[in-house]
Amino acid sequence: MIWKTAWKNVWRNKVRSLVVIISITIGIFGGIFGVAVMNGAIAQRVDAALNEEISHIHINDPAFRDNYDIQLLIHNHEQVLTTILETPGVNSVSSRTLITGMANTATKSAGVQIIGIDPEKEKEVMRLNETTIPGTGDFFETASRHNLAYIGEALAKELNIIRYRIDEAVLDSLAAQELPVEVLDKLVPFSGKRFTSEKAFKNEVKGVLSMKEQREYGALIKEEAWSFRTRSKMTLTFLDSEQMQTGAVFRIAGIFDIKNSIFEMGQVLVKNEDLSILTGLAANDYHQMIVRLDDVESTEEVTAALSGKFPGMEVMNWKEIQPDLAMMTDMVQKMYAIFMVIILAALAFGIVNTMLMVVLERTKELGMLTAIGMNKKRVFRMIMLESIFLSMVGGVAGMIVSKILIGLTATRGINFASYAEGFEAMGFAAHIYPSISTSFFITVTVLIIITGVLSSIYPALKALKLDPSEALRTE
Amino acid sequence: MKVLEIKNVHKIYNSSEVKVHAVNGVSLDFEKGEFAAIVGPSGSGKTTLLNMIGGLDTPTSGEIMVDHINLAGLKSSALIDFRMRNIGFVFQSYNLIPVLTAKENVEFIMSLQKWDKKERDQRTLELLKAVGLEDRINSRPSKLSGGQQQRVAVARALASKPKFVLADEPTANLDSKSTETLLDIMEELNREEGITFIFSTHDARVVKKARRVITVEDGQVISDERKN
Repeated sequence: MIWKTAWKNVWRNKVRSLVVIISITIGIFGGIFGVAVMNGAIAQRVDAALNEEISHIHINDPAFRDNYDIQLLIHNHEQVLTTILETPGVNSVSSRTLITGMANTATKSAGVQIIGIDPEKEKEVMRLNETTIPGTGDFFETASRHNLAYIGEALAKELNIIRYRIDEAVLDSLAAQELPVEVLDKLVPFSGKRFTSEKAFKNEVKGVLSMKEQREYGALIKEEAWSFRTRSKMTLTFLDSEQMQTGAVFRIAGIFDIKNSIFEMGQVLVKNEDLSILTGLAANDYHQMIVRLDDVESTEEVTAALSGKFPGMEVMNWKEIQPDLAMMTDMVQKMYAIFMVIILAALAFGIVNTMLMVVLERTKELGMLTAIGMNKKRVFRMIMLESIFLSMVGGVAGMIVSKILIGLTATRGINFASYAEGFEAMGFAAHIYPSISTSFFITVTVLIIITGVLSSIYPALKALKLDPSEALRTE
Repeated sequence: MKVLEIKNVHKIYNSSEVKVHAVNGVSLDFEKGEFAAIVGPSGSGKTTLLNMIGGLDTPTSGEIMVDHINLAGLKSSALIDFRMRNIGFVFQSYNLIPVLTAKENVEFIMSLQKWDKKERDQRTLELLKAVGLEDRINSRPSKLSGGQQQRVAVARALASKPKFVLADEPTANLDSKSTETLLDIMEELNREEGITFIFSTHDARVVKKARRVITVEDGQVISDERKN
């Protein structure tokens, strides 16, 4: 009866209860959805880092990472490879040669790490080949060709391998995509023009478009004006195993786009067989072996096992190679907690306020209930239940809304295209797929109940202080 | 059999400036099955007396014994429990729980006392029938007239078969027809269930129905008449 009465009491003042419930709903939704977006971004970041940038575990000479000395090779490579592959939890291994050098084109140059790989093995460990921008290449599929290089979009832009130009074809294509005529007219004067860099292109286009036009059509125009000339070339120069300057011309075998401009800038992948000719190293000499695991959860375990098997080598997992990734995962957990605490605290004050009003308004009724024999424990329980019901209705509504919206956006994602550059500079994708674990929902539910209980205590205590004969006299 | 004994009860309110002697040495006994009215002008102390009998207020001195138990000896939680088990209340302004239906209001105390659902339903229906509201059992108080609400309140007061029912000016807000109906119902229930009714009033119609009339003035009993 007390449960029933408490439930009915929640709906006594519908407008007030709904206002509280809606505010709780919005608060909880905001919290959960915000966390889901952050969570999704982090998960994508970690996923991208593991699949496209670093893989799970690196094995190399302990001194190798100090200055990437070309002589610090992995001894007994074949034996090491077999041992790694026999270790439980290991999925695949790819061996790499790492050389520090320069990439040059006619107009630009940049410092890069040249990575010699076996493309077939590399595809088993990394998913970088899947990020190739269509039309730029095929990740060393053309076996007959020598001296091919696979580079990142950012480096391609830096070296002017990707250029921006506006010509008849670009204008026609823009017109076909229903770019307004007045915007098109502003671009016509650029027809036939090549821009020396992405920055120059942007500056000039910005000069003729209004802010609104830039916002609405900027990305589309950039997309169309982007051009890549097949069979583009660049020169790679570096020191060989004899510390002599060497180098060769490499054709572009593909440009990868991994939404991480730092990584895109620094890495050039070439076939190990091409590289070994230039470095003077043997075809089966490698500096580093990268390992993919069956399950990322077993990282620590496999790292320990491999460290035990190779005491003379450095075995590092992704958490050690990129401590920022591990730290970020830990830090966001704390951030979620702070986030939710703030929301729940606001929610608690809302409930306290409402329930105090309720107690004040019902002074006479509460006095009557005590008079006819409802003891303090029951009065306390009734007020507490009302608070819990109030918070639960809002909480559940908030969670349902969040669940629906996360469900809708989880597959399609949310596109922060306008902020893409900023996101990618930090290594985050601009297209975020929100995601959240079931355990987080359960935690939030428990926290809402706790909040409801805690915030009902003060109003319920107020109700207990009422003197029935006095309360009955109030009007 | 005595259900209630009031022995030389005094109640003094000490407000900051004046001392009010609201009840001044009242001694009364009530037998089982009485239908008694406490009459007196407003400010005569009848509500204070009723509140003390009901354990809602404590006497400054003197004793109130219900079934040989001294109310002054009970702690506040025990007193609430005692009220639930022994005393039915009818208030001037009905004081039903607005969110509950007539039926739910009547069975509220029984559910607090953890009555069996079947017994509870039976008793509720019986009482609502007795007060003539069997067709309004699912109405909320806001859909009932004042007289009907007070009849629900009477049914509620009787629900858990208390030793006596205290009614503080039960007809003050009712018209004469409702008053008459209510009084008839109360009298009938009093006879049928043998439950003692004590009400404070200054309504002549109530006085006329009462079988015992106690007149209070300035906190003292000035007359105590029994009619036959």
